[in-house]
Amino acid sequence: MFATVRSTTLLGVVGRAVDVEVHVGVGLPGFTIVGQPDEVCRESRDRVRAAFLSRGFAWPNRRITVNLAPSGERKGGAGLDLAIAIAVLIADEQLPPHVAERLAFVAELGLDGSLRSVIGAAPLVAAVRDHRVVVARGNVAAARAAGAADVVAARDLAHVIACLRGDDEWLVDTGSEAAADEAPTPDLADVRGQPVARLALEIAAAGAHHLLLVGPPGAGKSMLARRLPGILPALTDDQALSCTMVHSAAHVSMSTSGRVTRPPFRSPHHSISLVGLIGGGTSAMRPGEISLASEGVLFLDELGEFAPSVLDALRQPLEEGVVHVSRARTTLTFPARFLLVAAANPCPCGAGAPGVCVCDDAARAKYVRRFSGPLLDRFDLRVSVGLPRVDDLVDGGKGETSALVAARVLRARAIAVERNGTVNSTVNGTVNGTVNAKIAVDDLDTVAPLAPAARALLRRELEVGRLSGRGLHRVRRVARTIADLDGAPEVVGESHVATALQLRTGLGVLMGGR
Amino acid sequence: MPAGAVPDASDALGAHINHDERVVAAAIAALPGIGPQRLRTFIGALGVMSTWHVVRGEVRAPAHIAAVLQYDNLHHVVRRAATSQLLDQMAESLHAGNIRVLLASDAEYPASLRDDFAAPAVLFARGNLAAFTNRRVGIIGTRAASAAGRHFARQLGSDLAQNGVSVVSGLARGIDAAAHRGVISRSADDDDTQRDAPTTTGAPIAVVASGLDVVYPREHAALWQHVAERGVIIGESPPGCAPDAFRFPLRNRILAAVSEILVVVESRATGGSMITVEEAAQRGVTVMAVPGSPHSETSAGTNALISDGAATVCDATDVMVALGLDHHRHAASSDARTRPLPADRVVLDALARRPMTFEQIVAEVNLPLQDVAMSLGRLDAQGWAVVNGGWWEALLAMRAATTV
Repeated sequence: MFATVRSTTLLGVVGRAVDVEVHVGVGLPGFTIVGQPDEVCRESRDRVRAAFLSRGFAWPNRRITVNLAPSGERKGGAGLDLAIAIAVLIADEQLPPHVAERLAFVAELGLDGSLRSVIGAAPLVAAVRDHRVVVARGNVAAARAAGAADVVAARDLAHVIACLRGDDEWLVDTGSEAAADEAPTPDLADVRGQPVARLALEIAAAGAHHLLLVGPPGAGKSMLARRLPGILPALTDDQALSCTMVHSAAHVSMSTSGRVTRPPFRSPHHSISLVGLIGGGTSAMRPGEISLASEGVLFLDELGEFAPSVLDALRQPLEEGVVHVSRARTTLTFPARFLLVAAANPCPCGAGAPGVCVCDDAARAKYVRRFSGPLLDRFDLRVSVGLPRVDDLVDGGKGETSALVAARVLRARAIAVERNGTVNSTVNGTVNGTVNAKIAVDDLDTVAPLAPAARALLRRELEVGRLSGRGLHRVRRVARTIADLDGAPEVVGESHVATALQLRTGLGVLMGGR
Repeated sequence: MPAGAVPDASDALGAHINHDERVVAAAIAALPGIGPQRLRTFIGALGVMSTWHVVRGEVRAPAHIAAVLQYDNLHHVVRRAATSQLLDQMAESLHAGNIRVLLASDAEYPASLRDDFAAPAVLFARGNLAAFTNRRVGIIGTRAASAAGRHFARQLGSDLAQNGVSVVSGLARGIDAAAHRGVISRSADDDDTQRDAPTTTGAPIAVVASGLDVVYPREHAALWQHVAERGVIIGESPPGCAPDAFRFPLRNRILAAVSEILVVVESRATGGSMITVEEAAQRGVTVMAVPGSPHSETSAGTNALISDGAATVCDATDVMVALGLDHHRHAASSDARTRPLPADRVVLDALARRPMTFEQIVAEVNLPLQDVAMSLGRLDAQGWAVVNGGWWEALLAMRAATTV
């Protein structure tokens, strides 16, 4: 008469456990689903019924009511199909009442009764990971990645029922755990010459500083940016799990292991919408590119071509590391701890260099207006990238490999963690990150004390008006990272500050040197 | 005043005029439909006060003036605008903007302009007209100048000023502004070192197209102020006058007329600088040009001038010689800057060839990146190099200064 089966539904990037309650009773034959199902969920009725009939199960010609509890929240997705089918079978007494205890079902049903993979398997399964979770075979890897200990699969509805009756065995496909067949990340050795841009990448990786590359087309800005994930430190287990959840929820293809194992690299096209970048959506809230890039690199090529409103929306997540997406029904929080790398041409004609650039004043002024000042201000590193020199291209040897650079980055981060971790100031109620880019202003004197010569250099920059107060803090953080890369753990020296200043060119670089 | 009534209709002849002739002259210049050309015709024929009475319809105009006034109903337009309110307003603007009005009959009216065939009938000036007693060299060029061009103009302006030459320019973007910035930098040094001693620095002369209280382009407000403080700004547009496009070619004729020599630093094949060159040629003003690379678009005009026979300018000496001045006597100024360290010299020498980004310098000198950064910091502090929108430029002493 009545049955409850555990399943789960997706809310943003988090799974929520759902109890599928089914009542089969007297009344006009009918099949209703209540508990705020969305369109996909409501269509479950037809899929479940068709699957029953095509597999030869009797469809109870009575009044069937399905309630998705807790009924106050909106449910979405097709992952509830299998749970509804099992609950109907139990309520109709075609299955014994207790077979589904300690089990959770996350799979979509085909009209022929087959089990299909669902979007967001990792966060879905994570919500019921203390259960034995039954999924489609395609979701086993993702479900394991989510940390569920007991994951089993089945071929189709008949197989599930046979297993529940004890007539058959679950598929316990261990899969190929170690098969990390991801495409190799591009290596820094491919970059010839470009010493300054290479250093900027290394500093960006070591201190988590946001990076703006300005240079003419063909200078290799995208090529450089794509090599940044390769020198970032490997993801910790927590980071990898968080990335996996987001990527799974957004249905972004991952390796066959079902896990995100490396810092992600996302480079959305400049036509991207606000919702596409930040996250949101009307029916199902979906994480945006900034969340997909969390713990990795968000690369915005042709920064000037992005809609200004889209770029301005980046400012809050850049500060907080998370993004709050509010809609009439819900407010969701997505992770957004990304490293921002942007590339831009120096001017509309792209040449940039004095005497070569053919843009007139009006065109140049219009171009510069496309960039939001407050956003540009958030780039600790602003580097101009020139065309590679012919000598480097033809005769130059290969550059340093990513592995060598990554080793230095790792060492610098270790130094930073050891030092910054001892400082316990808080920003916005959360303990500071240990990366140098997040050192609080109050802590700068403690963790990045300046040598007298370095102090004099900064004083002069302030006096001539090339550096603002905010710029000063950013330069000091970058200088701290350069010192860490140098293995100088105590005082930040003149050479570190001088280099940091050179890696933060004035925004006139966007005006063809004018 | 009832709508449609003719203003001041009841005034007796001249009864409403309680301002001096110069205010009236400014008011006539501000009348709609009366540009520099007609102003010269009217005031040249009638004098200031009679012109005012004529445009107000209080006095019958001579036939050739009446013909002009008939054209396009001009007499209605000017009749309506020529009110006592306009006079009050002019008097106030002239006072507020610290603007003087010069008529051709005035002793202070620049002599070189008075003899010109298209001399402004009314000239507005802000600053010290003593600048016109110096030798005068015009420095002009394109607004969209290269950094090298601006650097050259700045150096030239600075060196000429140091030798007591007044630099004439138009306060436009690019070359014009750079030349006057050079002058200002020199006279600023003057202020610091010998405030009480008589200055020998050439004062800047700016010739502008808009009213003297209408700064254009807006970002030159500070420069505009400095020029007015240390030299003079002149123009024939009345206070409050917008920088209309037609006023720029007219401005160029004044610029050419007050210059003894006109130096074109950078110019495209066509453009405002070339108009000034035409005006200079009509007045027998010597035109000199700074040669540039044949590949550089911004030097196409100057290179064409040189192939047409204009003398070349490679430094201030060339100009001083053309002025007939003994340059070397004056140029023996010592460079007050600290000598760069040998290590920094390498970077400076590389920069001397062309402006470079930090990255280009690193690649060029082949030194460790941090060393280059330190060198640039020192060169910047010592004044040997500046960074301009990501591009580093060397500020070398000019040829003459180093050889003497």
